[in-house]
Amino acid sequence: MGVLHRQGWCGATGLAVPLLSLASPAFLKIAGVAPSWAVLWLLPWALVDGPGSGAVAGAALGLVLDALHSGDASQVPVLVLLGWWWGRIGRRGAPIERSFSLGLLALLGALALGLSLMLQLFWQGALPLPLAGWHTLVAQSLVTALLAPLVCSLLLLRWRQVVGWRG
Amino acid sequence: MPGRWFRVPTLHKIAAAWPWWLLVAALLGVRLSKGAFLLDAYALLSRPFWPGSAQSEWLRSGQRLSDQARLVELERDNQRLRQMLQLDRAGQTLVSAPVISREPAGWWQQLELGKGRRDGIAAGDAVLAPGGLLGRVASTTPTTARVVLLTDGSSRIGVWVGRTQQHALLIGLGTARPRLVFLEKDPGVRPGDVVTTSPASTLLPPNLTIGVVQTLHDQAVPAPEGLVQLSAPVDAVDWVQVVTR
Repeated sequence: MGVLHRQGWCGATGLAVPLLSLASPAFLKIAGVAPSWAVLWLLPWALVDGPGSGAVAGAALGLVLDALHSGDASQVPVLVLLGWWWGRIGRRGAPIERSFSLGLLALLGALALGLSLMLQLFWQGALPLPLAGWHTLVAQSLVTALLAPLVCSLLLLRWRQVVGWRG
Repeated sequence: MPGRWFRVPTLHKIAAAWPWWLLVAALLGVRLSKGAFLLDAYALLSRPFWPGSAQSEWLRSGQRLSDQARLVELERDNQRLRQMLQLDRAGQTLVSAPVISREPAGWWQQLELGKGRRDGIAAGDAVLAPGGLLGRVASTTPTTARVVLLTDGSSRIGVWVGRTQQHALLIGLGTARPRLVFLEKDPGVRPGDVVTTSPASTLLPPNLTIGVVQTLHDQAVPAPEGLVQLSAPVDAVDWVQVVTR
């Protein structure tokens, strides 16, 4: 576990995820599909704070986001796995800084999240045509990956500073 | 001077009066062409005063007024007949609610409204917008309500094609256009037919516009299917009306 989660205000920025998901600003959409704000917030958090904290943050985000939607499809398992995986990447090897790496990690995360939702909706019979799912999957992954270098690198810089002071 | 009146004018004088000859020729031309030049000239001169958009606007506003009056009268008549048939639900009122969050595309197709249980909204209520039915309320909190749109994959409602008097099922696909599944083998429906809620419906308000049949797949098994273009613009609507029971 890192030290970031002991700073209350850093964790409080996670509140922006459900708020942005609800507001879903139209200028940040591709083909009407909004980015996955959970992925954009969880990626820098897990990279800075480690696998344990990342998994817990993923579970918390998933529970809040599941409450915002009707139906039984859940984002919790994939967000927990993503938090844990990104935390391990952040702990091992050189720190990730390049925009391309951030974009790629966000793309993979959004793809995994979208695929899990698509399969769940398909099994529940809420997605009679897989075609609509593919459209949403591709659009959401693209817009998330495009926004990641912008959003994630800012959060990453700020949180690394905080960890530098406190650690 | 005698004989002077009978003198033939000299050629010189005839030539000197050429403007008059021109005028006579012009008048003859007008006469022979049945006023062609004259009418053209008149059209050219009067062009700024031709009937423009103002007139058509008057006509249209008159038409609108008459349509509205007719609509009110017909609705009143309809309500009276429904009461006679005891199809009318008692205590049905409309509650206006603002849209505070919208997600018309993505994994879920839903709206959040800024009014909830405190204003009498309950799960299952129909949600209307200018243009027709949007969806149904799925869950409520004291101050908000969640609406599942007709395009959502979990939305299934019974509908009615008025021209052929056929019942059908409208199933959300997660795309912009829900699927229309008929219950009979030969519904006789064509693209362009208007889809409404069933006139005998008690779950939803009757005779609400839903959309227009866009494509039809006659050979589908077990019954014909189609796609419906919805008439209410979800992306543009800021206020909706909830039919509370």
